[in-house]
Amino acid sequence: MEHFASFIKVLFVLVSVSLLLPRPAHAYLDPGTGSYILQLLIAILFGVGFAIKLFWKEIKGFFRNRFSGKGGHEKAQD
Amino acid sequence: MKKRRTEGRVSASFRDPSGFLFYRDGAIYRQVNAVYEENYTQLMDSGLCEALVDDGLLIPHEEVDVPPPEPGQAFKVIRPERLPFISYPYEWCFSQLKDAALTTLEIQQRAFDCGMSLKDCSAYNIQFREGSPILIDTLSFEKYREGEPWVAYRQFCQHFLAPLALMSYKDVRLNQLLRIHIDGIPVDLASSLLPFRTRLVFSLLSHIHLHARSQKHFADKAVDTEGRQMGRLSFRGLVDSLKSAVKRLTWQPEGTEWADYYENTNYPSDALQHKQEMVAEFLTEIDPENVWDLGANVGVFSRIASDREIRTLSFDVDPAAVERNYLRCVQEGETHILPLLLDLTNPSPGIGWENEERTSLLDRGPADMAFALALIHHLAISNNLPLDRIAAFFDRICDALVIEFVPKDDAQVQRLLATREDIFAHYTQQNFEDAFSKHFVLRCAKILKGTKRTLYLMEGKHSP
Repeated sequence: MEHFASFIKVLFVLVSVSLLLPRPAHAYLDPGTGSYILQLLIAILFGVGFAIKLFWKEIKGFFRNRFSGKGGHEKAQD
Repeated sequence: MKKRRTEGRVSASFRDPSGFLFYRDGAIYRQVNAVYEENYTQLMDSGLCEALVDDGLLIPHEEVDVPPPEPGQAFKVIRPERLPFISYPYEWCFSQLKDAALTTLEIQQRAFDCGMSLKDCSAYNIQFREGSPILIDTLSFEKYREGEPWVAYRQFCQHFLAPLALMSYKDVRLNQLLRIHIDGIPVDLASSLLPFRTRLVFSLLSHIHLHARSQKHFADKAVDTEGRQMGRLSFRGLVDSLKSAVKRLTWQPEGTEWADYYENTNYPSDALQHKQEMVAEFLTEIDPENVWDLGANVGVFSRIASDREIRTLSFDVDPAAVERNYLRCVQEGETHILPLLLDLTNPSPGIGWENEERTSLLDRGPADMAFALALIHHLAISNNLPLDRIAAFFDRICDALVIEFVPKDDAQVQRLLATREDIFAHYTQQNFEDAFSKHFVLRCAKILKGTKRTLYLMEGKHSP
């Protein structure tokens, strides 16, 4: 976990250095610059995590159907 | 006695240029502005609105032919279903705030499937209707803009995740920070208060601690996000991560002063039954549309009213009692009772802009009927309140009152006096009756079996 936190910090500094010019957000609510940037920084992690979660559900759904004898192709429900 | 406002713009409705709420002839309406036309059309045409309303997640509304208050900006006027009582996040127990958070995320996920997204995530946009959380702001949706991060992410963390994490990991009473910070608990404050071990929980590390660091780092910097986008999968992943984080947060209502009251007290069972019968009788006599049970504990007496389909607010100062009360509501599917957290000696004030964005408890009344059972000694003796001030307060918040007088020689009063000097010579039944007679007609008084306590039914002298 500590290694992972260090990785996030490095990623954070590297990307933040590359961000230079202002750009307005199209919203009445101020999303907060730090909150906005954080999402961009960790987006890939959430995306990968979510993809793995969906993939795992598909696999579980496949085997559940296989062994319960239904043999259907129903998509795993969230 | 102050009555509810029935004309003019709703004081809390001014931030969002998409539209605003207003009262007219006692009904509530929402003006939808022309700038929101495209979003409103997609909300309606995509079937999202209908689906959310059908599933009890979004307040129903109808389009009406009512002149808008600001015709120059108007696109439509809609009439949302009016809720009988508006409660606030600092009045909710842990599970109420958690359910409100999960409802918000469920709505966000459903909106995303229809090409839309929530543009704000205020906890004040969620209310409890018939026992379940529901979004009351029809104009919270906007078209999803490909590649953009979630604009309401910060607000979700401040209004829901930060208070829930603090309540779960630190102290359940920290939800009261929401009363000070009207736009939610700042993540840097949450980060500094949360114990170190929360840094080892990935969701809290990223959504609270790194979030706080990021806000601090970029606080005084102008940045450009050109060329950096957040894909759909990442967007879904972010919301899914928040949902998992909220689901994992727990709090057990144990070890507090009042949550075990009915189990531990030596209250005679025949007195309890007699009191229940009397309360039922008084309800039949007054036939109120709504009841406020003040000092309700886990809601034993509130349910005498709510079981008769009377809208009942079940207030208590103890977070554990309110939590138990709410969990029972959920378990039993109760729809006429709403447990809420309230310190009657310091009730919710008017807060926000001009002290009117979130209205005080008194401004949300009066109730047709209030219960003040086994409460008077806590106000008069624990809180040193003179009896005439207590009577005047009840006159402001209810039209009819069921109140129990607990005499000084009662074991519970003696317990309060055990460690302090008795400076309460005025605390007598005669003085109690004299004080309340100035404001109320004393309709009935009965001594509870096996006790020296008296249960009164009173009606306000100025009641309709």
